[in-house]
Amino acid sequence: MKPFDIVIVGGGGAGLYAAMEAMKTNPALNIAVLSKVYPNRSHTSAAQGGANAALGNKAKDDTVEMHIFDTIKGSDYLADQDAVDVLCSEAPKIIRELENIGTPWSRMEDNTIAQRPFGGAGRPRCCYCADKTGHTILQTLYEQCLKKGVLFFNEYFALNLSLNGSRSRGLIAMNMKTGKVEAFTAKTVIFATGGYAKMYWNRSSNAAGNTGDGQAIAYRAGIPMKDMEFVQFHPTGLRKSGLLVTEGARGEGGYLVNKDGERFMSRYAPEKMELGPRDLVSRSIETEILQGRGFDSPAGKYVHLDLRHLGADLILSRLPQIREMSLNFEGVDPINEPIPVRPTAHYSMGGIDTDNFGRTVMDGVYAAGECACVSVHGANRLGGNSLLDILVFGRIAGHTAAEEAGKFQPGMIPESEVKECMDELRSKMQRSGHYERYGALREELGQTLAINVGIYRESSLLKKGIEDISELQERFTKVRVTDTSDVFNTNLMQVLELKNMLDLAETVAVGALAREESRGSHTRIDFPQRDDEAWHKHTLATLVDRKLIAGEKPVTMGRYELQERTY
Amino acid sequence: MTVSIDQQQEPKRDVTFRVFRFNPQVDSKSYFDDYTISVERGITVLRSLNYIKEHVDASLSFRAFCQAGICGSCAMRVNGLSKLACTAQVWDELAKCREPGIIKVEPLRSLPMIKDLIVDMDPLVSKMTHYSNWIDSTMPEAEMGRKEFLISEEEFERYDKATDCILCASCVSECSILRANKEYVSPAVLLKSYRMNVDSRDSIHDLRLSELVKDHGVWDCTHCYRCQESCVKSIPIMEAIHGIREDAIASRGAKDTSGAKHAEAFMEDIEKKGKLVEATLPIRTNGIVWTLKNLLPMAVKMIMKRRTPPPPPLVKSSKGIKIFRTMFREMSEHVKEDQKSHKK
Ligand SMILES: Cc1cc2nc3c(=O)[nH]c(=O)nc-3n(C[C@H](O)[C@H](O)[C@H](O)COP(=O)(O)OP(=O)(O)OC[C@H]3O[C@@H](n4cnc5c(N)ncnc54)[C@H](O)[C@@H]3O)c2cc1C
Ligand code: SF4
Ligand code: SF4
Ligand code: FES
Repeated sequence: MKPFDIVIVGGGGAGLYAAMEAMKTNPALNIAVLSKVYPNRSHTSAAQGGANAALGNKAKDDTVEMHIFDTIKGSDYLADQDAVDVLCSEAPKIIRELENIGTPWSRMEDNTIAQRPFGGAGRPRCCYCADKTGHTILQTLYEQCLKKGVLFFNEYFALNLSLNGSRSRGLIAMNMKTGKVEAFTAKTVIFATGGYAKMYWNRSSNAAGNTGDGQAIAYRAGIPMKDMEFVQFHPTGLRKSGLLVTEGARGEGGYLVNKDGERFMSRYAPEKMELGPRDLVSRSIETEILQGRGFDSPAGKYVHLDLRHLGADLILSRLPQIREMSLNFEGVDPINEPIPVRPTAHYSMGGIDTDNFGRTVMDGVYAAGECACVSVHGANRLGGNSLLDILVFGRIAGHTAAEEAGKFQPGMIPESEVKECMDELRSKMQRSGHYERYGALREELGQTLAINVGIYRESSLLKKGIEDISELQERFTKVRVTDTSDVFNTNLMQVLELKNMLDLAETVAVGALAREESRGSHTRIDFPQRDDEAWHKHTLATLVDRKLIAGEKPVTMGRYELQERTY
Repeated sequence: MTVSIDQQQEPKRDVTFRVFRFNPQVDSKSYFDDYTISVERGITVLRSLNYIKEHVDASLSFRAFCQAGICGSCAMRVNGLSKLACTAQVWDELAKCREPGIIKVEPLRSLPMIKDLIVDMDPLVSKMTHYSNWIDSTMPEAEMGRKEFLISEEEFERYDKATDCILCASCVSECSILRANKEYVSPAVLLKSYRMNVDSRDSIHDLRLSELVKDHGVWDCTHCYRCQESCVKSIPIMEAIHGIREDAIASRGAKDTSGAKHAEAFMEDIEKKGKLVEATLPIRTNGIVWTLKNLLPMAVKMIMKRRTPPPPPLVKSSKGIKIFRTMFREMSEHVKEDQKSHKK
């Protein structure tokens, strides 16, 4: 295959925007997008709530500056303020651009893009399309990429960066349809592979494939991971499956109620009530449950999300997907009954360390979207800021790579490397015998993470978590792929995903143990205060000689001084 | 082998999943494997398949991603009907089995087979590309990002439902024409085309329409309604198909290419004393009133366009036909009025 100027790994919002922008920047470039699922299946489609931008359509007095402040405060002052400036100033432009190319936004009475309130925001600035915002954004981007003739390699599973010393010369990936390992020699590679919150498995709202593949690939190539300990729990996951009931439900006026019939948020955020930021609401629910005020069921403890007072009309017109999900996965119709919910691992703030242009420390390697950590979300992401992040920084990464591709002249990826890779995969395949079951490992990983590296953390729990993870890593060497066929080997794919999750889980747990303070989503029972003196900094995890080496990086400050974060 | 998804102490049942198997590397022919597992209420077909893959046979291959009915990956035929495995409840399916206790699971139809329950989606993507299933904005690229188009809630509602489509291809698998003609545009692509054509931001309406009226296009549809009946997002696909047809007639005239032929056949059916009503229309599933409300307006408009007199009294006087006759008369009057007031 002819060398590429840009290979983009991931066809979610970040990857597709990068592709579109790169083609716009330089139409002569040879660009490919690889995705392990058809791009329109990417997890971006699951985002229901919306995307923030200070358009001022709903609240005329909203400003970019207020959006910046809300984001920095929401991040518990761990976000880099220059990056947040970029995010929020670009927001109105990018939302309008999406509108201009066909995204079907819901509308206000004056025919402008509709906006609604969302957690942690001082003004209603979340732009939405009913409760399918991510889905319609992703559709629009995919359509536009088809229009522009972007070259897609669908159902290709990225395996490794090919390195020449400390330089990247491209990507190695497996074609799922044939099982063949193929080389994509490339001047630049952009990772846009989404988040890693699926490592919490059954206690996660994420798609089965949100296994942090891009992060794990970059990590193994020696690129540092940043702030991995910050995993956001969404307050309202369905009790049985972990699947999400969006914040939109609370934005429209839903109540959280404990078994005593009390709207308990009055205890934790008397002003914002249910619209407090996610980390606070998640902790509040967890506290209610821990203190015995939750409901009990065979599938676990939970609280109620009550929408009944909103009425059937509003539920049907504004929250149809939520209703459908509660019907399908809990057997509950929110028009007549409250929905059983509990916190679920939802979003990964940490990721591949990048600068404000999407560059990593490795020349020619970029990252954007949930797999990257710029960082605009710091210790806690605000609802509606992630779609914004993937769009804004997807575009920036695409632009930067297009501008810089000419600078790099990588050698070709040698055939021998491809063969080695193929042999390694083959060596895992074995039809029979006594081996570890990958499904069991996956579940155990999720369990230990939820218990020991969950919402409430503590030194001895975290140490147990780290032990468990290393034991699971050891057991992983005995996992075998029993499907020995080449064509569409999903067994092999899931085993490789498990490996990626195990590698990253270590960085999450080690980061969480190191950070001896409570900040944003990271709550240490043994260190309940935010400690700005010791911990107002990013953590880094870098793999050197197969060992995790911990590092740190200062937070970029700006106009806003450190303040206590209260709502 | 019987193994169990151990969860809650709810009632369990042994369920057999009879699953279509085919691995092109080794099999010259497809076959079925039976997997019997114990399942309690509230478990979906996808969770059962996941369980089988993890505990019984790791080589069983299917696609799944969101597990929440959002991404469209897991469409397959369950008990003969195309649907999402991740939202199909096992206990509901048990009520629909041909052989008691045996749920049959097969891949989608009309798309090339890859392995087991996995089919190739590329043909669908090619069709989306062929029919320009995107907005070609009236706004020049250089001006984008500066201001919004102003769009009424009313316009939004015109394509709101159509943008629910998750491209799962269930409708594709159920479409009767596609089974005979793989080149047929496909219901999902018609739906998307319609969605683009009613969007005021788009600039290539005519181009898209000119493709849609060609061979294998919108006029090949037989109105069997199977796509709409099977749509996993309950999208009224037929409204889109009618919308395109009406649009084609309005903007291209009734004598347009192959479309006209089909339209005429449709009219002849009606003129043959309601034969169409009995034979072709989806009265069985949608009811006579629904059918008339949705199909008749277009028929009447077409007749008025051709200035042919309304069809002769319909001979068979079943209840349905009576309603049909009255509605047809009323509708003809309306359209005449309309045309008069337009000329003024
Ligand atoms: C249920 C839910 C609701 C949400 N709601 C909101 C919301 O309302 N507002 C908001 O702002 N954010 C929301 N988020 C967060 C937001 O949706 C995600 O952060 C965002 O969509 C991530 O986009 P992405 O482009 O980075 O990655 P994804 O959309 O996850 O795309 C990742 C891509 O990478 C590809 N990929 C991954 N691994 C490989 C590999 N090994 N080889 C090849 N390709 C690979 C995948 O195929 C996919 O195409 C929500 C998240 C969830 C889970
Ligand atoms: S109504 Fe038309 S498009 Fe729909 S299934 Fe029947 S033939 Fe196919
Ligand atoms: S129209 Fe319905 S059935 Fe067809 S692809 Fe779209 S969502 Fe699936
Ligand atoms: S797995 Fe996504 S729709 Fe079923």
